[in-house]
Amino acid sequence: MTAVAINIEQVNLFYGTNHVLKDVNLDISPGELFAFLGPSGCGKTTLLRLIAGFNTADTGRVLIDGKDVSALPPWRRDVGLVFQSYALWPHMSVRRNVAFGLEERRVPRAEIERRVNAALELVELSQLADRRPSQLSGGQQQRVALARTIVVEPKVLLLDEPLSNLDAKLRGQVRRELRDLQQRLGLTTIFVTHDQEEANSICDRIAVMNAGVVQQVGTPMELYERPANLFVAGFLGSANVIDGAKWVDPPAGTPAGAKLVFRPQAATLSAASQQAWLKFEGAVAHREFLGSTVRYGVRGPAGDVSVDVAFHQGQALFDVGQSVTVGVPQAAAMWLST
Amino acid sequence: MAFAGKVSALALSLLLLAGAAAEAQVSGKVSVVTSFSKDVTDPFKKAFEAAHPGTTLDVQNRNTNAGVKFLQETQANNQVDLFWASAPDAFEVLRGRKLLQSYKPKASGIPEKIGSYPINGPDNNYFGFAASGYGIMWNERYVAANKLPAPKEWDDLAKAPYFDHVSMAAPSRSGTTHLTIETILQGEGWDKGWGVIKAMSGNFRQITERSFGVPDAVNSGQVGYGIVIDFFAFSSQATGFPVKFVYPSVTTIVPANIGIVANAPNKAGAEAFVEFLLSPAGQEVLLLPAIRRLPVNPAVYAKAPADYPNPFKDTSLGAKVKFSAETSEKRSEVVDVLYDQTVTFQLEALKDVTKTLHAVDAALAKKANAKAADLAKEARALVAAMPITEAQASSPEIAGAFTGAKQKGARQAELEQQWAAFAKDRYAQAKAKAAEALKAAQ
Amino acid sequence: MTSASAVADLPPVVQGKRRFGWGQAALALAIAAFLVLFLAWPVGTVIVAAFTHKGAGGFTLVNFYDFFATDLFIRSTWNSLYVAGMSVVLASVFALPLAYITTRFEFRGTVLIQTLGVVPLIMPPFVGAVAMQLLFGRNGTVNMLLDQHLGFKIPFMEGLNGVIFVQAVHYFPFILINLSAALRNIDRAMEEAAQNLGSSGFRLFRRIVFPLAMPGYLAGASLVFVKVFDDLATPLLLNVKDMLAPQAYLRITSIGIADPMGYVISVVLIVASVVAMWLSALAMRGKDYATVQRGGGGLARRHMHPWQAVAAYAIVILILLLVLAPHIGLLLLSFATIWSFSPLPDGYTLAHYGRVFSDSAVYITNTALYATLAGVIDIILGTAIAYLVLRTKLAGRQWLDWGASAALAVPGVVLGIGYLRCFYGVTLPDGTPLAALWIVIVIALAVRRLPYALRACVAALQQVSVSLEEAAENLGATKARTVRRVVVPLMTGGMLAGFIASFATAAVELSATIMLVQSNADAPLAYGLYVFMQSAAGRGPGAALGVIAVLLVALCTLASHLVIERRQKP
Repeated sequence: MTAVAINIEQVNLFYGTNHVLKDVNLDISPGELFAFLGPSGCGKTTLLRLIAGFNTADTGRVLIDGKDVSALPPWRRDVGLVFQSYALWPHMSVRRNVAFGLEERRVPRAEIERRVNAALELVELSQLADRRPSQLSGGQQQRVALARTIVVEPKVLLLDEPLSNLDAKLRGQVRRELRDLQQRLGLTTIFVTHDQEEANSICDRIAVMNAGVVQQVGTPMELYERPANLFVAGFLGSANVIDGAKWVDPPAGTPAGAKLVFRPQAATLSAASQQAWLKFEGAVAHREFLGSTVRYGVRGPAGDVSVDVAFHQGQALFDVGQSVTVGVPQAAAMWLST
Repeated sequence: MAFAGKVSALALSLLLLAGAAAEAQVSGKVSVVTSFSKDVTDPFKKAFEAAHPGTTLDVQNRNTNAGVKFLQETQANNQVDLFWASAPDAFEVLRGRKLLQSYKPKASGIPEKIGSYPINGPDNNYFGFAASGYGIMWNERYVAANKLPAPKEWDDLAKAPYFDHVSMAAPSRSGTTHLTIETILQGEGWDKGWGVIKAMSGNFRQITERSFGVPDAVNSGQVGYGIVIDFFAFSSQATGFPVKFVYPSVTTIVPANIGIVANAPNKAGAEAFVEFLLSPAGQEVLLLPAIRRLPVNPAVYAKAPADYPNPFKDTSLGAKVKFSAETSEKRSEVVDVLYDQTVTFQLEALKDVTKTLHAVDAALAKKANAKAADLAKEARALVAAMPITEAQASSPEIAGAFTGAKQKGARQAELEQQWAAFAKDRYAQAKAKAAEALKAAQ
Repeated sequence: MTSASAVADLPPVVQGKRRFGWGQAALALAIAAFLVLFLAWPVGTVIVAAFTHKGAGGFTLVNFYDFFATDLFIRSTWNSLYVAGMSVVLASVFALPLAYITTRFEFRGTVLIQTLGVVPLIMPPFVGAVAMQLLFGRNGTVNMLLDQHLGFKIPFMEGLNGVIFVQAVHYFPFILINLSAALRNIDRAMEEAAQNLGSSGFRLFRRIVFPLAMPGYLAGASLVFVKVFDDLATPLLLNVKDMLAPQAYLRITSIGIADPMGYVISVVLIVASVVAMWLSALAMRGKDYATVQRGGGGLARRHMHPWQAVAAYAIVILILLLVLAPHIGLLLLSFATIWSFSPLPDGYTLAHYGRVFSDSAVYITNTALYATLAGVIDIILGTAIAYLVLRTKLAGRQWLDWGASAALAVPGVVLGIGYLRCFYGVTLPDGTPLAALWIVIVIALAVRRLPYALRACVAALQQVSVSLEEAAENLGATKARTVRRVVVPLMTGGMLAGFIASFATAAVELSATIMLVQSNADAPLAYGLYVFMQSAAGRGPGAALGVIAVLLVALCTLASHLVIERRQKP
């Protein structure tokens, strides 16, 4: 199985007058596990369906393995799509659901049998093969949908919020399984999600989308450390955003109109005044115990900020209402204007 | 099974095509379009096929109107040999459109006329084979339960006790009723005739759109009395329904007919059936209890049951009217539409006036009152009034509006609206007068 | 690698793009051709009279001016609208409880009720009317008993309200069939979610279940509206003549009268029906109620408390008694010796059945054959049109729907005359006119009943989630294969409902067939009924034939329901 690249070139798409995708350009490398991340309504599912052939772009084109597939109907694209709702056919058994794609490809009966069994084994559903989808749990249905898609060995795999119908514990397990499977198959995979943790934990690269526009593309770490704009900074992890204009004593080199962005765990907190590149005074508004850290909400003249303090046993905590000083080291500070 | 049967039948008919054409004269399929029920056609079919082995009588049952329409629409490629129905006016329409061919029946012993009505159509286009008269049929149980009288004449039906108990088919829907209306109009004269018809109609429970709807309703007991053709009553009696029938003195005996369709595919077969129908053997079939029609061959009555009406002997039957088929034909559509517009579609208003007038009569019977009597008379005159005269009814200008004639003239819808408005207006006035009379009489 | 080799054979991209819509366009054209050939053209040759000037012969609209200038027609129009609207209301009252109880609850006898609920649709012409009168008429059983014991009568069968009563009894199965199909597809979780949020009883039904079943309900209700609006048999049976359809019929079928108004009214009826269908489509726009997820045992039925069950049975039995009364009357009539002005027949006999079996068996086999073929043609066309309308973007696809639905409004006699005009001139090699072949009767029946099957198919397809189809396409199934392997199996319930509606009503159709029947051997049952019901002695055998017609259709319906029920069980 050779993995293939996916290239999206200058795609624009309208629903009526609604501009759903704006100038989208993406290059997804062979074998990559790539995520479209964004809030609901950002166009990520539309883009996925465009690749699968269920939407048609008004401009631009989609290349799979270097070939323009824009004009191909869905059934000739050879991309596997796992639907958010799974879209299992209620009138067919699990086995029949999984066999469907192979039957459509006129694969010999014996081989269908073999490959369906293998796929069901892969998702550990062999003993439920003759049930109807309505008799399965959500997680089992999800695995049937996955088996149904990968059994045909598509060139690329598209997953539309595949974990959203699963409970939290199962989700962690299934996403690791997904990653393993993807690595083993070496399949170029696109994963649509609105959950940054999900994207961060398993994906090679992420395209963050908002309002039909790709905001930034990069590895999870790049996005976290060097967000291109306020949206990305806020969407990946927590971020404190302070309007520079409101800063009492702005340090030298502050770009005009820019906002100061820093992560809660990068700041320090002390009862007395402290030495720091930037100082911010206020009072503790609330306190949350998160296990390994304690998150303080500090309210001051410039606004509200969150500060995470590593927790260790016997540590003295700040009380709600107590006056504190927040310090931000220069290395942790980012200036973003958009 | 049925499908396979049909497919093979189709194949067979294709194969036998040449053979069929070459066969002898009276044979093969004789197809007849008729309005007569199975009870009537089945005995004839059996007897005819027995008399002419090798023939089959294929009966297509359609009501008279649909049958006429069918022949019109299919004349380019006609497959029908005979048209067999009651109403002479349907045959007149067919004759007018040249859809019948003339033939001189060889059967003997059949007179020229029955009563005053010629048995055969003009130009020998159609032939009477049985006679029927119109009369009043009633349900004995219904009449007993409601303590109602037995009628003798048409005017009886206009009397108070009959209110809301009588039914008739619309003359535009039933050739037989049309002739009844025409008979009254010719017997009583145009103005007086309409007076009788409207007074009678004011007592109607319903005006049906099928001839058979009337005997059906009487048989079920939904209405007490029906104005029907005699054989409906006779065959109902024969079936066991508790019904009675009377011929009023102003009635006419008219023949039910059969005609050979122009370009009949089996002309010889068609002629053979006509001859059979008019022969003594065919005429005797009419005497069967489920058919009960009056033969046109006087000699056949010798074999009839004792109480069988015989129009050739009983001169009271139809003697009063000199029925003119010519007059009837000229104004037939006009009379139908006049009735529909002034009675059928205005029945509620007409009944309303009639009910009030019955109440006035009842009050006057108790205590005479000249003013009330005068007002009631005026009201009756308003009810009886017609939008057009007898002469106008037969005039080409008005008759032309209903026949799709080529010349310019009033459109049917315009006339209908005028006549309906006229009737509506007169009934409203009559109602006011009648109400005033009722007040005065009380 | 199998998948790669499948893709390697792909034609060049541009060709692929062209091919995309070709099959659909060809299908749409074929259906359009069918509709033009067997509906628009024959009807056009007849109703052209509505636009023809009297005498002069040229095109004119003066006849429409006359229509609006005539009091009778204006009154008729309002009466027809009133009756059609109120019939929908009353029919809903009959249909809603039956549909809801039998589809959403564990209820013994569901299949029986669903079958019996369809039976009223099969009202054999003429003889059904007699049976109704004998039961509900002024001197019918009910009124005679009321009069004897309580001293009053109820005018069930009088005037416009009588028409509404009879029409609702007759046509409520359209709502029952379509609504039941829709209710079966609602995920139990939808109800549970509402119950969880505190909704129960009638509010639950009104706010959640009924809106979700709206496509099915509207499909049925719009059929009832249009059908009642266009129906002439019932008003005429009750002697109500000031409605549009009876006016058209009376004018078209009266001999000797060359009156364009009958055809003008036909045009009005056709336009009104298409508008009604269009409005119902408009009302449904944007309401995609497809139940996306059918997992988690979502179709399980609710249990009823004992007192609820008692109430439910009482309601169901009451409604069934009312709507089946005509058929009970028909059954009595078929065994009656004489039944005249009495609550019950004078005596009973089997002779009528003997007569029917001896000389009318051919009618029964013909009917079974014709109605089955017509029903099959209808669901094929119905499914195809529903798919083109709902799942493609072909220009003018909506016209297929409207065109097919217009058949509902074409008076049968107009279609019959049109067929004679168009196909009687076409002769087969042996000289037989094309119109004389029995297959023409089948096509006429199919065209007349197509709207029923179409509405059911549209409702069924609306409830199939698009993602189920996309999943199939994604796995390599073409549109055609997707239809065959996913869409059609999931639509089976709705298609069967459509088949039942077409089959059942085709089995007792008279007005078009009476024009087209060319020989006794090819005649269907309704024609046989007509022949019997022309004489007093034929009433009993006519009723017996009517009972046989009802049984024939009921058995087919029962079989279909068993199929649906079996599919419901996992």
